[in-house]
Amino acid sequence: MGENIYDLTSKLAPFLDRHLVFPLMEFLSVQKTYDETDLRHARLDILSNTNMVDFAMDIFTTLYEGKEVSHELIEQRSKVVSQLNSFQEETDPIFKIFAEKEVQKQLQSSRDQQSLMNYLVENHGFRPEMLDTLYTFAKFQYECGNYSAAADYLYLYRGLVPVTDKNFVVSLWGKLASEILTQNWENALEDLNRLKEAIDSGASNSPLQVLQQRTWLIHWSLFVFFNHPKGRDLIIEMFLYQPSYLNAIQTMCPHVLRYLATAVIINKTSRRQAMRDLVRVIQQEMYAYADPITEFVANLYVDFDFDAAQEKLKQCATVLENDFFLVACQKDFIENARLMIFELFCRIHQCISINMLAEKLNMTPKDAEKWIVNLIRQAKLDAKIDSKEGHVVMGTQAVSPYQQLIDKTKNLSFRTQILIPLKGCCYTEE
Amino acid sequence: IVIIVILYLSNLHNRCDLIFLSYFEGFEDLCKAYQKALNVVKKEEGGKIPGFFLRCLVDLEDYINQVWEDKDGRKNMSKNNAKSLTTLRQKLRKYTRDFEEEIRLFRENPDAEDSDVEKDEVDEDDDDSVMDDDEPLGPAAFKKEPSIPKEEKKVVESESDLDSDESDWPSDSDETSSSSEDDRKIEGRTRETFLKKKVDDLEGEKTKKEKIRDKRKTKKEKGESDDDTKDGWQSVSKKAAIPREKPKMFGKDDEVTIPAVVKKLSEIMAARGKKGTDRKEQIELLHELFNIAKENTLGLPVQIKIQFNLIMSIYDYNPSVSDPMKVDFWEKILVKIDELLDMLAITPELAIGEHITEESESLEKPPYRVRGCVLTIVERMDEEFIKLLKACDAHSNEYVVRLRDEIQTCKIIDKLLQYEEEHGMPSDICRIYLRKIEHLYYKYDKKAAKQVKGELPEAEVTSLNEMDRLCKYIFVRDNTDRLRTRAVLCHIYHMSLHDKWYEARDLMLMAHLQETIQHSDLPTQILYNRTMVQLGLCAFRHGNVKEAHNALLDIQSGGRAKELLAQGLLPQRQYERTTEQEKQEKQRQIPFHQHINLEMLECVYLVSAMLIEIPYMAAHEFDARRRMISKSFHHQLKNSERQSLVGPPESMREHVVAASKAMRNGNWNLCRSLLLNDKMNAKVWDLFHEAEKVRLMLGRKIQEESLRTYLFTYSHVYDSISLVTLSEMFELPYGTVHAIISKLIINEEIMASLDEPTSCLVMHRTEPSSLQSLSLQLADKLYNLVENNERILDQKPFFSRGMQVIIRWFPFFSLCLPPEIKIFEKMLGPVWRCYSGGPQKIKKFCVYFFF
Repeated sequence: MGENIYDLTSKLAPFLDRHLVFPLMEFLSVQKTYDETDLRHARLDILSNTNMVDFAMDIFTTLYEGKEVSHELIEQRSKVVSQLNSFQEETDPIFKIFAEKEVQKQLQSSRDQQSLMNYLVENHGFRPEMLDTLYTFAKFQYECGNYSAAADYLYLYRGLVPVTDKNFVVSLWGKLASEILTQNWENALEDLNRLKEAIDSGASNSPLQVLQQRTWLIHWSLFVFFNHPKGRDLIIEMFLYQPSYLNAIQTMCPHVLRYLATAVIINKTSRRQAMRDLVRVIQQEMYAYADPITEFVANLYVDFDFDAAQEKLKQCATVLENDFFLVACQKDFIENARLMIFELFCRIHQCISINMLAEKLNMTPKDAEKWIVNLIRQAKLDAKIDSKEGHVVMGTQAVSPYQQLIDKTKNLSFRTQILIPLKGCCYTEE
Repeated sequence: IVIIVILYLSNLHNRCDLIFLSYFEGFEDLCKAYQKALNVVKKEEGGKIPGFFLRCLVDLEDYINQVWEDKDGRKNMSKNNAKSLTTLRQKLRKYTRDFEEEIRLFRENPDAEDSDVEKDEVDEDDDDSVMDDDEPLGPAAFKKEPSIPKEEKKVVESESDLDSDESDWPSDSDETSSSSEDDRKIEGRTRETFLKKKVDDLEGEKTKKEKIRDKRKTKKEKGESDDDTKDGWQSVSKKAAIPREKPKMFGKDDEVTIPAVVKKLSEIMAARGKKGTDRKEQIELLHELFNIAKENTLGLPVQIKIQFNLIMSIYDYNPSVSDPMKVDFWEKILVKIDELLDMLAITPELAIGEHITEESESLEKPPYRVRGCVLTIVERMDEEFIKLLKACDAHSNEYVVRLRDEIQTCKIIDKLLQYEEEHGMPSDICRIYLRKIEHLYYKYDKKAAKQVKGELPEAEVTSLNEMDRLCKYIFVRDNTDRLRTRAVLCHIYHMSLHDKWYEARDLMLMAHLQETIQHSDLPTQILYNRTMVQLGLCAFRHGNVKEAHNALLDIQSGGRAKELLAQGLLPQRQYERTTEQEKQEKQRQIPFHQHINLEMLECVYLVSAMLIEIPYMAAHEFDARRRMISKSFHHQLKNSERQSLVGPPESMREHVVAASKAMRNGNWNLCRSLLLNDKMNAKVWDLFHEAEKVRLMLGRKIQEESLRTYLFTYSHVYDSISLVTLSEMFELPYGTVHAIISKLIINEEIMASLDEPTSCLVMHRTEPSSLQSLSLQLADKLYNLVENNERILDQKPFFSRGMQVIIRWFPFFSLCLPPEIKIFEKMLGPVWRCYSGGPQKIKKFCVYFFF
């Protein structure tokens, strides 16, 4: 089974919340890359600081079969339960207020948290300290693993608390984590953006703190981006084209480049430009981080070494298979990577033998031919197949000087014409 | 003032044989000087006229009388001289009338006079030793002689116990005989020297002195119990040397207590910085005081305080800031500071700092508090060290000898660093860290280099780890920007030195120093330049030619690398430096052992430029708008082209130029052998730590770039080229050739594509004919024209009447004329400003301008 050297879980975990690590662990145990008992130990460790005592007990019993569940856990459990009860008592009036239909309506219609707050205080006997109770209860629920409840409470909390509140950003983090864990991606994305705004505008924090928060956000957002339908565009937008986040990746966590590279490869719409920028970044960080995916890109776009790229592509498949975030887009990735190789090949060559191509693309010659025919039919490729020789012959792309000249001068007169009225009005002034 | 008199006297006597006019002037001066000195004389000798003065008068009188008697000689004199003689005689008579009695006495018995004073002196000796100098200088002057060395000896004894008395005597005699050089000597000595000089002049009896000295020596050997009368003097003075000094500090029976010592100290220090303070004497006094404190075991705090002041006054000793201190003082100060730090280290309950005022000091009981700043002293020491080094000739043995002191300097810094780490504030620690860093950053540590290569474990302590630790502390704790900037630069320098290219580059990029460095002080800018150079060299070693070129471009472009790196002064062409400027520039220079080899630097730059520029030139041979990448490289090329006969290359530059030419022709073998040969190895490549690796890298780069150049230059004669042939030609692996060509195709640098089944490069005939290319150029220009028009209309300030006219005429001109459209861009501004008149005028102007 052996340890997978390309597994990033250990690198990612420090930047994630305890609760967010669980899905990763779950995934690992399914993949069977690590020893199951080790994983269970690790999970138990993670649980030790949460209130998910039942879950911890479960793991404990599977881990040490026949042994009594440790005394501490039982004690902790009773403590948690009593806490839960006291909290519920405390928050009971609050939820009563919010359960009223009128308040619900007001909640939805009101935009300004200050006026909403005033309204609640005046009409329903809401006290400002209740907010804090709400916050602690939400936190408690989250610790217990009751994420959807936590998300709900934090939603209320966020609606009522001013942006300047010390707990505001913390509540956003909590909300995001809860949404991720309940797999509510739409809301998670919304929260993510809100959190990003809060971090970017957080002038009061020291640069180091901001950097750290950005790093967290980058890691947490992986959950969202690789699950939300629009995530693959957004990840490029955020990681590659926002200098502050790119800097954070380069300084703190170059391993995220794997996800960025994958996103760029599977993104069909804006690949050219993004790829160029990505290659630049990968080249810069080559010394700090390299895995099959980034190496694949480097081989293809820096060294133009197709054989090596081919090798890497094979490795990429296993990497993707074992990566929690990327496992879903494995097929897309392979398809797109092939297309990339082929496209590059076509741009360089004028004549390619199908056999060689098939080898490069990791296909049988027949499949390759079919694949090319499809490409030609979809007008993605200007080429013809010479079946006698078994070659693909590219269409000539050379542009004649005449054509160039015409292209260059075509719109000049039109553009000058546009200037005339502008100029004319000034001239007549004189 | 007495000295002045003596001076005049000796002058006077020297002039005896000269014309009387000057004699007369001398006499006048003497009178004036005597007037001035009168007060002092009165005070010190109770109104007694000094013997030497009387003697002088008598001599003069005798001499004048003698000349006056000699009537024949008088007649032969020039008119002026004769006149002067007469006046002088009259004046002298008049003047001597005031001293008639004394002169009479003196004439009767000159020796008696002296013995009188001598007696006086014996009396005075106990309470006023300064008086010694004012003794008469008659024939008995030599009797008195011992008293001069006596004082000298006090100096010696108190100054340093290491100097044996024996060694000091000869030096004494040296000074006596070479009195003319003594202007620079400290005042305390000048007095004596002049005294002696006079003795020489007057008596001319050096031999006699020699004898005495010999006697003295023998006496020394015999010990103090000599029965010779003169030596009797000696023995007294010798015994009295210390005890006699002491009463000066403290009375014999005075109790030596801490307050008394402190009071004495502040008395001594009060004279600091005042005019006329004898700095040497001050040092001695302090030393004396230190010994007293030590003998009486007054506790370390007092000693520390005195030591402090002692060190400060040694620093003070050198009046000019720009001159280095004397070597013996330097050595002494090293010892003193070391002692001081040791004392500090063993008194942990002592607080020391500048913030402690004199009043709040506590020296007697813990917690001790002492005013003073060790850091400043050590920093000053460091600066003095650099100054000393700079004062030496860099190629002499002296420099090497001086440089040995660096070990001691570093040790002291380390000691202080340890002390500060325990006691100091963060800002102080930052300062001392930086000192340490600046001693560390330019040194190549073999262990660190091994660590980088992974041969040593990360945990091993090397200079790299050390730098890392020190710099990171400064990054976090420092709140003055300067320290941090310097630390960053040193850190980058050190990493580049050890081939940590990526880390160095990232730190450089993250520090954002490029934008702010021109606002910082000059030494920091110099350090920045040095760092950039080192970074460039590092990039080159790693084969990042482009980065190397960019890093070195600024330094090399003006041909002022020497000046920018502060490794020497360049002769100014336009104007002369003032001495002040020159002094400042010299102060800024980096000591020789930190220099970066300029020839290597230039070579690396030129080779990088060659590797970039030659393929570029080949690719854009017919491009009208080709830009120069490296001016100085082109300069070298042009220089060699201008020569009518080019011989085999001798210098480094010639080698590079010849290699460039070979590369241009695609002859990579010649190119490589021109750059990588024994001569160049000795000059440049062997200076790198891993010369072999660099050579390999360079050879490979030459092959690759030659291939590119070859393709650019000769692609038009081929219809297709086999990649296999190419790879054989350039001895490159097939894969590399393929990769290079693929890159060229993708970047559309050559119009060609690969034919995979035959592995050939097939050229696409897209090179236009000359007519086509010209028309393409015209189209380009038209395009630019339209762009410019649009831009002009977009710019609101330009949107005025005058402008419109130009725009109207603009297209016409540009079509008629071959010059670059840029010209219009350039002239639009001034034209618009000058001619906001009518369109006619502008039309005229344009016509004038172009036709």
